[in-house]
Amino acid sequence: MNPKIKDLIITTFLSILFGMILSGLLLLFLDKNPITAFGKLFSFLFRDGYTFADIFVKATPLIFTALAFAFTFKASLFNIGAQGQFYMGAVAALSVSHLLGGIIPGPVALIIIFLSSLLAGGVWGALVGFVKAKFNANDFLVSMMSVYIALAFMNYLLRTVLIESKHEYPQSDPILKDVFLPIFVNGTRLHTGFLMAVVIAVLCWIFLYKTTYGYRIRVVGMNPIAAKFAGIEAGRIYILAFLISGGLAGLAGFTEVNGVQHMLVQDFNTTIGAEGIGIAILANANPIGIIFGAILFGALKVGGSILGQTSGIPSSIIELMEGFVMLFVILSYYVRRKLELRREILKLKSEAEV
Amino acid sequence: MISLLTRAVLMSTPILLGATAEVFAERAGMMIIAIEGIFLIGAWGGFVGVYLTQSYLLGFLLAGVLGVLAAMLYGYITIYLKQHQIVTGIAINILIAGLIAFFHRVIFGIPLLPLTIEPLKTLPIPLLSKIPAIGQILFNQNILTYLAFIGAPLGFFILFRTSTGLIIRSTGENPVSVDVAGLKVERIRFTVTAIAGFVGAIAGSFYSVAFLGMFSNTIIGGRGWIAFAICFLGNWNPLGALIGALIFGLAEAIAIYMQSSGGTFLPNELFIALPYILTIVLTISRKNFNVPAKLGIPYQKEN
Repeated sequence: MNPKIKDLIITTFLSILFGMILSGLLLLFLDKNPITAFGKLFSFLFRDGYTFADIFVKATPLIFTALAFAFTFKASLFNIGAQGQFYMGAVAALSVSHLLGGIIPGPVALIIIFLSSLLAGGVWGALVGFVKAKFNANDFLVSMMSVYIALAFMNYLLRTVLIESKHEYPQSDPILKDVFLPIFVNGTRLHTGFLMAVVIAVLCWIFLYKTTYGYRIRVVGMNPIAAKFAGIEAGRIYILAFLISGGLAGLAGFTEVNGVQHMLVQDFNTTIGAEGIGIAILANANPIGIIFGAILFGALKVGGSILGQTSGIPSSIIELMEGFVMLFVILSYYVRRKLELRREILKLKSEAEV
Repeated sequence: MISLLTRAVLMSTPILLGATAEVFAERAGMMIIAIEGIFLIGAWGGFVGVYLTQSYLLGFLLAGVLGVLAAMLYGYITIYLKQHQIVTGIAINILIAGLIAFFHRVIFGIPLLPLTIEPLKTLPIPLLSKIPAIGQILFNQNILTYLAFIGAPLGFFILFRTSTGLIIRSTGENPVSVDVAGLKVERIRFTVTAIAGFVGAIAGSFYSVAFLGMFSNTIIGGRGWIAFAICFLGNWNPLGALIGALIFGLAEAIAIYMQSSGGTFLPNELFIALPYILTIVLTISRKNFNVPAKLGIPYQKEN
């Protein structure tokens, strides 16, 4: 095996392990035995089909928000506003579901809803790319701020035009059954959105590594000056990268509204933006790696929340694990660089001896 | 009107403290992306310290120490291990959010009633606070506000009129020259980052200790990012940050006023979003930036 890939697999695995061990040790503060706690966490995951399938339900939106971050990251841009683009996608999914549900056939409606979430998230994201390209505004900052604006916008809609017919809570009416994303494993919540996410992740990989546009995005990321000399217009790439990135995050809104919640409520999935960044970092921004990273985070979420309900361990242990894993992954970048340098030195030495 | 302006000065306090800290760090070449987390850990540390000891001084001290620890972790990874500042900062922010939620539970369990502390009282300055209008707005504030508004001009003086300031600025502009002069670039960056962590955490403690008298995980809600933005918008100058922070304080004061008065024809949510919208508008409208040349770039010594 290529030593670089071998290093990558080993160090990533160790980072996950160390992150879990360290957060496990913190459980001692609560007088809980970390080994039994983790034992329970894993046994919960496999206790029945419904729980096991939920891992993939939770992983679905995370694949999208992680892809969103990865896409801009490849162009050395920072879209940390996936949370807001997700809200925009969710609002679009819900509105269009209400508009079309029961009027046109379900599958056709679902395609239109899919496209409208993609568009809503994409346009909201592309605005960031636009101000970056046009005014040289800081994309990191603008995308961050756009989350809070999207949140306020969604809350406003939930309080006014989208509010349920009873006008009691700031949440929408449920959508009709025929615009639900179909369940593909009976007796679970696992909906086709997961398959869609996996397919789109693979498409992202193909786009980034096998097409000219993907190549241009990566060149702008790796060496903007070389890109300029090669005649690649950076401004266009900024807008394109943010459009796709935002659209991907918007799709998380589609799968959550039409696949899981079947309505829009206030304060739902408040952490998927940040978790998406964590997963993208864990996977080194590789779309295929992201699928596995998202499943890992999904498993932590499912196991952690059951642990919280049954063993009195706070569900914040999940965030803690995620945080430590991310930290160790960053340290593993450093370790890998060192290992590679050492290999190169050894290689040069052996060549010199010959 | 007077109460609105008083509120504006009050609300600009943490933003100004945070932005001044950020200006110093960025002048030395360090973007403190972890500032949102540092604000949060400061808000939590301040609250816990005051709640457990009933002493504001110990509360601020705990906040500051936690802030320094967070900043040192961030500094170690970005300066010595030379990892990406934005990526590292985001990771630390997530880690801090998890740590705080966890230890809040460890210390307080699940309380039946929300835990509260007595918010920091205002400290009227003798004579000056008696001046009509201005006295109320400027000289009847809490101690953090005075520190923030003295700190910014003082920061300007240190940064642009002293040799220490020259060293800090050179570290961000031309680290090679600093190295040639026999000073350790990494050590300077690390020290400035740690101090910025202290000040940033004090800024965060404003929300729990001086303003609300309570703590929640969402208490900061992006204010750390706004301080980060103000550093940019203030052109990496503490006095620029002062103007920026005042504009934001005013936006926030108007938002609070509108939410409490109700009955306006504009939706509340618009006012909640106002500070964030303003940040974007100002980011777009600023043309000439004075970005430190080596901002965000780890120093690699040449052999």
